[in-house]
Amino acid sequence: MPNGLNLLFQFLDSFAFIVLAAAGLAIIFGIMGVINLAHGEFIMVGAYATTLANLEAGLPLPLAMLVGVLVTAMFGLVVERVVISGTVPNAIGRRVLGRDVVEPLYDRLADSMVATWGLSLVMVQGVRLTLGNSLDQIGTPLGKIAYGGFSYSSYRVLLAGVALGLLAATYLAFTRTDYGMRARATVQDDDTARALGVDTERTYMTTFALGSALAGFTGALYAPTITMVPGLGGSFLVEAFVAVVVGGPGVVLGTTLAGGLLGAINALFSNLVGTFFGRIALLVTAIVMLRFLPDGITGFLDRLRQRRQEGA
Amino acid sequence: MSPDTATGDPSVRHTPAVEATGEITDTLLETRGLRKEFGGFTAVDDVNFSIEAGELRCLIGPNGAGKSTLLKLITGTYRPTSGKIYYDGRDITAVDPHERVQRGISMKFQVPSVYGDLTVRENVRLPVQRFAGGDERRRRVDDAIAAAGLSGYEAVEASALSHGQQQQLEIGMAASLEPDLLLLDEPVAGLDVAEREAIAERVTRLNGTEDIAFVVIEHDTEFVAEIADEVTVLHNGEVFREGSIEEIESDADVQRIYLGGDT
Amino acid sequence: MATETETTSGPGPVDGGPDGPVASLRTYVEGPNTVGQSRPFWAGFVVAVLALAAYPAIVGGYQASRFSLFMVYAFLGLSLSLVWGYAGILSFGQVVFFGVAGYTFGVVAVNFATPAGITAAFFAGIVGGALMAAVLGYFMFYGGVRDVYVTIITLVSTLVLHTFMAQTAGDEWTVGKAALGGFNGMPTIPNLAFGVEGAAVRFGSVSFYYLVLVLLVGTYLGLRALVNSDYGRVMVAVREDEDRTRMFGYDVERVKLVVFTVGGALAGLSGVLYAAWGNYVSPQVFELAFASLPVIWASVGGRKTLLGAAAATIGIEFFRNSLGGEWALVAVGVLLLVFVLGLPGGIVPWVHDRYLGFRTDAGGPAPPESAENPEVTDS
Repeated sequence: MPNGLNLLFQFLDSFAFIVLAAAGLAIIFGIMGVINLAHGEFIMVGAYATTLANLEAGLPLPLAMLVGVLVTAMFGLVVERVVISGTVPNAIGRRVLGRDVVEPLYDRLADSMVATWGLSLVMVQGVRLTLGNSLDQIGTPLGKIAYGGFSYSSYRVLLAGVALGLLAATYLAFTRTDYGMRARATVQDDDTARALGVDTERTYMTTFALGSALAGFTGALYAPTITMVPGLGGSFLVEAFVAVVVGGPGVVLGTTLAGGLLGAINALFSNLVGTFFGRIALLVTAIVMLRFLPDGITGFLDRLRQRRQEGA
Repeated sequence: MSPDTATGDPSVRHTPAVEATGEITDTLLETRGLRKEFGGFTAVDDVNFSIEAGELRCLIGPNGAGKSTLLKLITGTYRPTSGKIYYDGRDITAVDPHERVQRGISMKFQVPSVYGDLTVRENVRLPVQRFAGGDERRRRVDDAIAAAGLSGYEAVEASALSHGQQQQLEIGMAASLEPDLLLLDEPVAGLDVAEREAIAERVTRLNGTEDIAFVVIEHDTEFVAEIADEVTVLHNGEVFREGSIEEIESDADVQRIYLGGDT
Repeated sequence: MATETETTSGPGPVDGGPDGPVASLRTYVEGPNTVGQSRPFWAGFVVAVLALAAYPAIVGGYQASRFSLFMVYAFLGLSLSLVWGYAGILSFGQVVFFGVAGYTFGVVAVNFATPAGITAAFFAGIVGGALMAAVLGYFMFYGGVRDVYVTIITLVSTLVLHTFMAQTAGDEWTVGKAALGGFNGMPTIPNLAFGVEGAAVRFGSVSFYYLVLVLLVGTYLGLRALVNSDYGRVMVAVREDEDRTRMFGYDVERVKLVVFTVGGALAGLSGVLYAAWGNYVSPQVFELAFASLPVIWASVGGRKTLLGAAAATIGIEFFRNSLGGEWALVAVGVLLLVFVLGLPGGIVPWVHDRYLGFRTDAGGPAPPESAENPEVTDS
């Protein structure tokens, strides 16, 4: 029984981690066709802002978390204007050289990976140079659940609930709000969307800010549980990245299913063999999934649904 | 392996076959019961289609009739849901696209797909280099460029050519693969009268002097009338009619399907 | 050269000039897929190589040894240029083959620390890198994986190897006398040596430098010949439009696999030399930070030019090493950002275009390598 509980908690922990890490990235990838390899660093920004707000400015934890989210969202806006869409460099270029100097990174998957990688290097080193090699960590709230001879952090298990709530909220945002409509139209065909009056530029900007805010939220949530070093984003990035790609184009469903599958595999192997192998199993699963289901889980489900609908 | 294009002898790859009945047929390509489904949608439905060596067939039909799909099944880009394809008497249903090209099937896509960033010369060299080296290669490249009406444009990047020139270039590249069967998907779409004439003349010449069989998808009835030996009409994925252009043009049922009716 | 008429991929024209054999050699390594086809270029090239040859005498053994690391990395940069710039495969995983080769060399060389053993280790490492690339390449290309998903799989492979090697700390992770060492890596890898006991060349700091220089020049010229050959044109066609190239009768999957494997061998060569240089290899070579360096080198230098990739590797690493520590990484990150956004083609093509424009503007005849002169772009 204790081992069963262990496994359950490990699964919930892993599921939460993957979903929360992936959410922001999935939105940006799904809607803008941009792979943000600096996503981990955005999470770091959220975590750092939260920690500083709580420990330096003395704000209570929930408020500090809000600060973390807002700071990251604003930072995301800046990055979107400067790096992703190139609006700011182009405005400067037009004034100085009379022409555009950069092309937007939308739908340029490989280039966006390379560019955001450069961004992540700058961010990690920038934080290291300005804030040092580590920060003090906020204490983990809510204590532990004890069972048999084991215990597990209640906070981390709680995050699984938060993750589900986030998925639900994102689903509602995409299906019930104006922004959600516009975003989905833009994904389908941004030329058509524009012809229909959708301000695709605003939509992209909002989307990136939203994705950044979610990253900031993840950072804020995990700030009390992880070591505050500038490179902390790295451990989130891998899981996020892999989950987004395995999940496929369906933002909410894809992230949920990928989180479930990869979380289960990670938990199982970690439980049986060790954390290293849990990670390896997760990564190898991703490679195999990519090879056989290149459109991800939701891409595959889409095709199945098409076949069933029209075949019957 | 290399045909003598100067004298127009047919490619040595294809030889007429003797059927079991003792009859000599010259069937180059044959599909039997070919079917292609996408999800629940049947694009090509039980098509029996055959082409003789050296024939010039036009494939027409309303939009969505399955014409492009049929061509892509022949090149191997699509795998059929069921049915078989025979080329030169052999079953090629499971053969990879690049191998079908090596056996003599060549295609020009609907959207001109020349290598935009490469020059005209570099474009043409790519198919030619498989067949010849040295001086022979240079000669063939020059000939191909001239035949496409692009002499003087050797060093121009292909993306800078006009639409019509790109079509000519691509036809030339497809032809320089020394195919027995050349598939053209809408070769004159978007071209003006003079360009269409040039293409019609080119296709007829390739068909006549180099004995290349053609399957051409086109909507332009004048163009079809000018070049076709035989016409096949596709409708809803099935072969609706086959015959000469005169027969097809005077067929009331064919008129009706074009106007949206059903039979 | 003005007297050069249209040449083919065979022996050069009957030039008759005093540099006849040179001219005929040049036809192998010149073509539209590389920059630099004129006498001034090759003269400059020779000067650069001579300067590099003189470098150890000027700065001494220690500095020369540090510099040889940058030249070792150049093979890694070239490997990415080959697969990405010439065949269109963006691989974040070249370091996988680099690392596998390094570890293979380490394991074999530590177990058989004789010159013969080390020679065998050298080749085993390169083969290891190539084999790994062949396996991964087969899995991806023959499995129909394309475009960005190839990049993603190579990236994830790097992570898998990092995680795997990092947990090889225990005693059970020992091959013969060589302990894999987990995070701490494998130390005491011997220096490079060729030959058999009694007739061996052992490479210390300066001799290693010269070995790497010779290998680099040879590899560069060899790759030039490859990419300018018929096969090289097919590679470029695959990069430009896979589907179209398939319809010209080329087995695209096989081309990608072959190129990827050659790239793996090159990365492997780099890894072997790296392990021999530092007498050490660790899972750090599989870290994302290191995995992205080849992408940075190729992006900045110009991935579609071999010269750009090699020169940028040496230049950026030299710069990074001189600047040192934290600021270096910030600078490199900014460099990457600026280049990918503003000059995605890289420096060398940009300089080359400026040079061509300058030469034509100056009113002279079009320089040999300009597109207006069809003679050199032929065959």
